[in-house]
Amino acid sequence: MMNNSLLHGLVAAIFFLPALALLLLAVPAWFGRRISESTINAIVGSAFAGATTCATLLLAVMYLGGQNVVEVRLGTWFSVEHYFFDWTLVADHLSVPFAWFVALLVGSIGAFSRRYLHQESGYLRYYLLLTLFGASTELVVLAGTLDMVFFGWELVGITSALLIAFFHERRKPVEHGFRAFVTYRVCDVGLLSAAVWMHHSVGSSALSGPTPLTPWGTFSVPEGTAAATFVGAMLLWASMGKGAQAPLGGWLPRAMEGPTPSSAIFYGAISIHLGPYLLLRAGSLLEHAPSVALAVVLVGGTTALHATFVGRVQTDIKSALAYASMTQVGLIFVEIGLGFRYLALAHIVGHACLRSLQILRSPSLLHDHHHLEQAMGRHLPKTGGHLERFVPRRLQPWLFRHALERGYFDAFLIQYVVHSFVSCFRWIDEQDRAWVDLLTSATPDRSAAPQEAREI
Amino acid sequence: MTAMAAATSLSEVSVEENATGRLREIVEEVSHFLPQQAPLHAFVHHNPLHAFEHLPFEIAVVEAAQLLGTEPFQQECAFSRHLESGRIQQRDLEAVIDASETRIADENLGGLSQREFTIGRLGNLFELPRGAALDWILSESHALSRFDSRVSDGRRMDLLEHARTRYGDGAVTDLESRLCRDLWIAMVGASSAGTCRKKTARRRDRIVDTVGVDPDDWVHPVLIRFCAAFLDQGIAYWQMPDRSGGLLKAFRAIYGIGAGPPDRWMRGLPAECRRQEREQWDAERTVVWALESLDVEPSDWAEFVRDTLFSLRGWAGMVRHFEEHPDQAPVESRACCLLEYLAIQLTLDSFAVRYALTIDPDTDPQSRTESALGHGGDLAYEAYLLAQLLPTDVTLLTDSDAAASWMNAVRLLDDIERRKLLHLAYERRHRKIVLDGILAHDQLTRQQPAEPEFQAVFCIDEREESFRRHLEEVHPASETFGYVGSFGVSMVYQGLDDVRGRPLCPVTITPTHFVSERAIESDAESTYRTARLRRGRLRHAAGIGTKSLVRGGFLAGAGGVLTVGPLVARCLAPRLAERWSHRADHGHHSAPKTRLAVERFDAEAALPGVLAEGFTIGEMTSIVEALLRTTGLADKCRPLVLLIGHGSSSLNNPHEAAHDCGATGGGRGGPNARAFAAMANHPSVRERLLEGGLRIADDTYFVGAYHNTCNDEVTYYDEDLLPQRARAQLRRAQRAFESARRLDAHERARRFDSAPLKLGVSRALRHAEERAVDLAQPRPEYGHATNAVCIVGRRERTRGLFLDRRAFLVSYDPTSDEQGGLLADLLLSVGPVGAGINLEYYFSFVDPVGYGCGTKLPHNITGLFGVMDGHASDLRTGLPWQMVEIHEPVRLLLIVETEVETLAKILKTHPALDHLVRNRWIQLVAWSPASPEMHVFCDGVFQPYVPEQSEIPIFRRSADFYSGHRAHLGCAHITSAFGAMNDEQ
Repeated sequence: MMNNSLLHGLVAAIFFLPALALLLLAVPAWFGRRISESTINAIVGSAFAGATTCATLLLAVMYLGGQNVVEVRLGTWFSVEHYFFDWTLVADHLSVPFAWFVALLVGSIGAFSRRYLHQESGYLRYYLLLTLFGASTELVVLAGTLDMVFFGWELVGITSALLIAFFHERRKPVEHGFRAFVTYRVCDVGLLSAAVWMHHSVGSSALSGPTPLTPWGTFSVPEGTAAATFVGAMLLWASMGKGAQAPLGGWLPRAMEGPTPSSAIFYGAISIHLGPYLLLRAGSLLEHAPSVALAVVLVGGTTALHATFVGRVQTDIKSALAYASMTQVGLIFVEIGLGFRYLALAHIVGHACLRSLQILRSPSLLHDHHHLEQAMGRHLPKTGGHLERFVPRRLQPWLFRHALERGYFDAFLIQYVVHSFVSCFRWIDEQDRAWVDLLTSATPDRSAAPQEAREI
Repeated sequence: MTAMAAATSLSEVSVEENATGRLREIVEEVSHFLPQQAPLHAFVHHNPLHAFEHLPFEIAVVEAAQLLGTEPFQQECAFSRHLESGRIQQRDLEAVIDASETRIADENLGGLSQREFTIGRLGNLFELPRGAALDWILSESHALSRFDSRVSDGRRMDLLEHARTRYGDGAVTDLESRLCRDLWIAMVGASSAGTCRKKTARRRDRIVDTVGVDPDDWVHPVLIRFCAAFLDQGIAYWQMPDRSGGLLKAFRAIYGIGAGPPDRWMRGLPAECRRQEREQWDAERTVVWALESLDVEPSDWAEFVRDTLFSLRGWAGMVRHFEEHPDQAPVESRACCLLEYLAIQLTLDSFAVRYALTIDPDTDPQSRTESALGHGGDLAYEAYLLAQLLPTDVTLLTDSDAAASWMNAVRLLDDIERRKLLHLAYERRHRKIVLDGILAHDQLTRQQPAEPEFQAVFCIDEREESFRRHLEEVHPASETFGYVGSFGVSMVYQGLDDVRGRPLCPVTITPTHFVSERAIESDAESTYRTARLRRGRLRHAAGIGTKSLVRGGFLAGAGGVLTVGPLVARCLAPRLAERWSHRADHGHHSAPKTRLAVERFDAEAALPGVLAEGFTIGEMTSIVEALLRTTGLADKCRPLVLLIGHGSSSLNNPHEAAHDCGATGGGRGGPNARAFAAMANHPSVRERLLEGGLRIADDTYFVGAYHNTCNDEVTYYDEDLLPQRARAQLRRAQRAFESARRLDAHERARRFDSAPLKLGVSRALRHAEERAVDLAQPRPEYGHATNAVCIVGRRERTRGLFLDRRAFLVSYDPTSDEQGGLLADLLLSVGPVGAGINLEYYFSFVDPVGYGCGTKLPHNITGLFGVMDGHASDLRTGLPWQMVEIHEPVRLLLIVETEVETLAKILKTHPALDHLVRNRWIQLVAWSPASPEMHVFCDGVFQPYVPEQSEIPIFRRSADFYSGHRAHLGCAHITSAFGAMNDEQ
């Protein structure tokens, strides 16, 4: 019993320490109090160091004690007779390693950014968003119900968009942040629909398991293949936005507008892997709905091929790394679709470390290139030779343009999807104006009033 | 399309020839105004306004600002802070105003003279509300019925007094509002119709205004993608196929195939590309076609082309640079030219504009920011406020004539004019601090330092000022000199590791000699190379593999988790991480012992255009002699003479090369020092020198060394060549250098905000070392950020003078150069180089976005030649904010120890120098070698300098003076440089 409450405390601390740090930063900031850089560092550093320590202990205790799952009930949101929404955190063989990893990475990037963002005017804003991101990712990771996932998921989305638009005095970062935000929102519809449908069909969106078939807790499967397929498809849709899968991934290279460390942790390490994480949680659904599993494989496969092809012609280091990320996430989707869960988990962790280190190192590219040339004793060998050998010469420019224009996915989306939405809204807006004009034309004096004030 | 085709076929052949000739001229003309920055690995400081150097500085900056949309001076709010902090003093303002030509005869401005008005105006700097903000203030606040809140109590009494004399007694609020109203009416009456903001000539601007879409949003991404892919030096795995035919041909090949991108605005582009290619249109023809299809009148071409190229000026400038300097491409040159770039941009523009015109105009056009009253309203409000704030007799101003002249005075002293005056005052204070400090120091009686045990020749770089000072402090029995950091050895150098040679000499010189570093033992070399190659291959394969699909999957899945160690270490313990990584990279195979192949044995003259391997004895002799004679070392060489080249190595710094030695063309000067030492130690060179009357004692040895200005490490070359006795001397010198480098790191650390002010000497060195290897550090070093002064003269006169790392120090002995021949050569190299560095910092500081490349944090390296801001932006040129943030934007103060007449004569005979000085791009001062007199070059003549202060703070050691301070410091006299109470650390 003693042991159990200790475990509960550890699980809760992983989420609540970052959340507490967020409060400590946000409350004074709200009242316009200046917080020194060293105070910010102390708060954020100790919160994530604490979370990492708790996760390490939890990991040790659970593996040594052979405990498969620790469930922490935090309370009930609301209950109507026998129907209720619970707040629960679940630590199992999927969430604990992930939570440990997230705390370690966010903490490290926090320490890194201390030097990187030193004396930047948006220092506090950056750390607020980073801490919010850390806390909400832990929420997504440890969530015991899909509703809680949704909360964390939304917060991750908004922090991601705000950090892309970190340099908001320029126009492009804001546009690109907005683009990411819109993509997230459109895909969030999937998560929300899945949650609603689960409540409708199963009565709860809580995790169940682990079962002998699934090594960790997964979402309950609704009765009937159709319902399972629907929920599965919705979850796939949700994960495609965060995971930057084709054809929605156009925001990812554009997301490289923020400070380098935030790009590293979001698009190299954590945010981008939340899509696959959600699918790992939906493992049982994929088993009951093979068509969804097939769709996951197809989406992942298409993305991997598209991204590796497009990535090969990128001429700036951050876009090249963004497409490299997208490629591997596509591959991870394929692994999940095929049912290789542990492989996918190892792939996620390995890829996250590798890619975020590469993004952190990207401003040193010229230095590294020079040293690599020296080590090789010559200019770096030409790459891409096999493409030139196998692709007919006449087709090469066509194929090259295809890659340079990013497979035209953006163009198609904008021309045919976004455009029709915009014209539709514009039409509605015009009708609206026409009505307003019609209704207000009887009382002209209202619009004349501000004119007079100007004539002084 | 048919209409366009018809338009071209109509134009006569001769007209067309004429037109293309004009086009070439226009593009040539515009290209001078584009950023001239080289690819980043070959970064060399230059004046960003090089194209304006024929104009006087104050006029040039304003013209450039209008043309490029940039800032000419610091912002007024910055000057306001300088006035508050005392950085600009009242007497500076007065002196500057007295010196500037008065534009109005001493007119009566509400009881003030023109001078009083100007002084008062500069003392009252405030942000003026404009546009909608002004409208709001006028209609929603009490601005027109109450005095402004900045009006002081005393002034308020005066104003009410004026009101009483005019309106008779009454309630205070009543008087106040009547006076305000009358004043406002008078000011509005006197303000004339406003001038409109200048619009650019592009079609795009009109479309933005009328349709509400921006065609550049479509064109620029395509243009950037394409140019980046064309110029790419090796980031992309798959390079653009067949680029040899040039930019335009490649564009047509890629965008002319198939049905084309589905974007609506590009509809018809492939067909057009194919047509142009089929009819073999060259760039000129394409440009003319595009200009005609965009309905541009031939008379507007120049302006139109200029604005078009300016819209993406970083890329246009880089294309131009590849065109003009193919040899500076990082890996491989590309056949491209600016005219072809323009042809592509205009072709895309014409498609974008045509499509934009088919869109329904936006129902809600962007709201204007112009005030309801127009520009005149802004001015009226400014005049209205000033009438309240300055000590005028307000009642006089309600008269319409007086109001008009008041308004005129306000208009003439506009934002630019005020900032110009403030800038001059800002510079004046700096000049006073430095010149007074030098003169005061010069007049102090100084102890004669002991006979030097060794001498050290450094680069003139201002970063070596502190190093030299500390060296003299810790070891007074030493003597230092400053000479151009290439030490006169102009060569193409290839180190043992280098893939190819690179020039190590000032950019103005084309090197004709080649020097390589060679291993002594071939066995050691091959073991070393094999080991390096093995690791290099591994790293290269991993770098490519992790970005690809299948290999990437294996690497990430199987080995990715191993990178968690380096990742966390890089974040938490950068020094440790670098040590591991260095060990992993280099292993236990240390570099083999090497020598430079300095000497050429076949005495035949090298063929023109071919690099000669090494130098002949004659050439070496003249190099050695030039240095010895210019610095004044010639007849007083001590047994050990060190030559210290410098450079800088750092991570997280695309602008790494900008911290290297400017005198070696942005290279690292170690090999130059090493080569010079080898030459000066050569027995045959000594013999030749003796023939020329220059005797170096047989027991004198020269040793080359390299100073890394980022981590303050000093490396020595070819120590093993010294005889036993000289080695002992070298070890003594090295001990002094060891202390000096620690103190240098300590002095540098005071400027870094993240280093505590109380940092000890050893910890400061560690701090500097950590900065150099930290992936998270955007400020590895501050580079030239403190540059402001250049002193050409004997070190005796500046020894023991604390100059705060702000002065280039050039050794020159006026007593042995009666005719000024050596001085002219020296100034011709030092003047332009110093001005280039200084002005690059000036402009990147006063406008970090327009001239500099903004904050470093979102920078994204493109094609191995430049940086963009985040995703697909214009190429950013200039210096990043983190490099310049502590800079004081003043023009270089060049102080030359020579008689006024000599300097005047040099200016007369060297137009290049004269130009720079007469147009005030540098400030020139003559410092008499024999007496404590200075003459400042001003308005075309040298005027005697009158010191303001004759006191100078005296400290025992530099550290006593600078410790505990972050900001710039003035001059100080340091006694331990003369051996007073010497305690070697």
